[in-house]
Amino acid sequence: MDPIGGNEVRSMNGAKDVEFGVEAYQFGEELHSLMSGPPVTGNSFTALLDLPANQAMELLHSQAVDDSPSELRLKGHCVSHQSPYNHTLNWAPAFPSNTALIERSSKYSIFAAADATVDRVGGGGGGQGSPDSSSMPSNSRANVMKVKSEPADSGSNPNSLPHASGPTINEKQMNRKESGKKGKGSSKRGKTTANDNSEEVEKLPYVHVRARRGQATDSHSLAERARREKINVRLKLLQELVPGCNKISGMALVLDEIINHVQFLQRQVEFLSMRLAAVNSPMEFNVDSLFSAGNGSVTDSIFPSVMPLTWPEVQMNSDRQQWQFDYDKSANSALFHSSQRKMEL
Amino acid sequence: MRSPSSLKKEFLTKWVVGLRAWSSSSKEMGLLERKKAIKLSADVAMAAATNGTTIWSHTLINNASKDPNSKHMVQSILTSARARDQSNEPSKFPLLSPPTRCARNRVRSKKVLRKARINYIQRCSRRSAASLIAKTLVKKRTQVLKGLVPGGECMDESCLIKETLDYMISLRAQVLIMQHIAKVMELFNSK
Repeated sequence: MDPIGGNEVRSMNGAKDVEFGVEAYQFGEELHSLMSGPPVTGNSFTALLDLPANQAMELLHSQAVDDSPSELRLKGHCVSHQSPYNHTLNWAPAFPSNTALIERSSKYSIFAAADATVDRVGGGGGGQGSPDSSSMPSNSRANVMKVKSEPADSGSNPNSLPHASGPTINEKQMNRKESGKKGKGSSKRGKTTANDNSEEVEKLPYVHVRARRGQATDSHSLAERARREKINVRLKLLQELVPGCNKISGMALVLDEIINHVQFLQRQVEFLSMRLAAVNSPMEFNVDSLFSAGNGSVTDSIFPSVMPLTWPEVQMNSDRQQWQFDYDKSANSALFHSSQRKMEL
Repeated sequence: MRSPSSLKKEFLTKWVVGLRAWSSSSKEMGLLERKKAIKLSADVAMAAATNGTTIWSHTLINNASKDPNSKHMVQSILTSARARDQSNEPSKFPLLSPPTRCARNRVRSKKVLRKARINYIQRCSRRSAASLIAKTLVKKRTQVLKGLVPGGECMDESCLIKETLDYMISLRAQVLIMQHIAKVMELFNSK
């Protein structure tokens, strides 16, 4: 898969790359935004509002020696969020490359499971609710921060940094190298995404994207790369959601699995509605008799009583025969084989 | 942050409202019609139970509202939420027309894309054929995915993936609740 190959190349070249700290920082910021409810400003290291490129470069180089917080304060001069900024600095970890994905997925799943019920079914439900809602505030900032770091990139950062002080040291290292690499990068203004909900994100329509070493500095390719990375991040989220998709590498196969899963869910909905229609045949939509007995009590009794059971899996097995009865056999049996495989995983 | 159980409860109550709207119309329905009505009300209830920021939910509700038979049900679902929550929920789903807008964009962007692609291929002629094949594979699959997700035709890739994520989550919740209800109804009937 091209992005992964590109990442590996980058990580090989990466000992001197300026991007890592930037990306680690931005990625850490994204994660921090996921963890905290109120939107922390998308105050990235290179996120300069309206400065032209040369002025931005001047700023960056003039601050090469300074302390990182003050320097970042200067750079984020359009935005005044220093305390959460430093806070995010202290929070954002520096990932080693191997455990990066595991850590991120664990962070997402921890976050997802934080408000979910304990059981498996509830865990699946918990995974539904919070990545969904958490992806909303992060996406509002994701629209601003076009550069999403691949954690593998920060792995080749030569310092294996302790958790808390990682980003600050990253920043300093980055600045020193930056002064040496004046002409290397082409800082450009990333294009804003079309669906920018800029009302809630009160700043920063532009993000400076820096070209990495050994890669094209064309503005088109930079924008495309930023776009690609954003897509990859979301694809990873999807991979975590679809069962059995974590081990698959390659975008086409992952998309295959996603398509299969969505089709499976849709057919399940159809089948269940058919079942309900069949159940109701003696009484015409006589749902009232069931629900009028106390709407809240019924719903409340449904969830805790049925959730701990593993009968959804049993349902799936029993569904199988009926689906073959109702629908086209070949398509559904293929789907069921894949689904059975996934459920057993 | 929307907890999963609240999503499920919201979906359930809205679905019940929708089903009641069907029964109040007092029509004699065959099995298939009933099944369609159930499925439609479930879909609309699921779409209404979201926060209303996603494209697929809007398209679902708009498509359902266009059908004169189900319009009443959709209205009842939307208005019941407003009465209950004091939130401006019907305004979350204004009757806009995204399909026409994005169809025009799509036609326009296809020409641009074709030219850009030709330029790109000429420039990067050293790229192997494998990557081109991979790209076409991915493109085919994104097309399929766009067909699956409601309202997917008018989205770019990143938006499509986000919508798929949300849609998949909602579908799962919907399936879970429908399974529960089906089980309960069957138990209820068997007695």
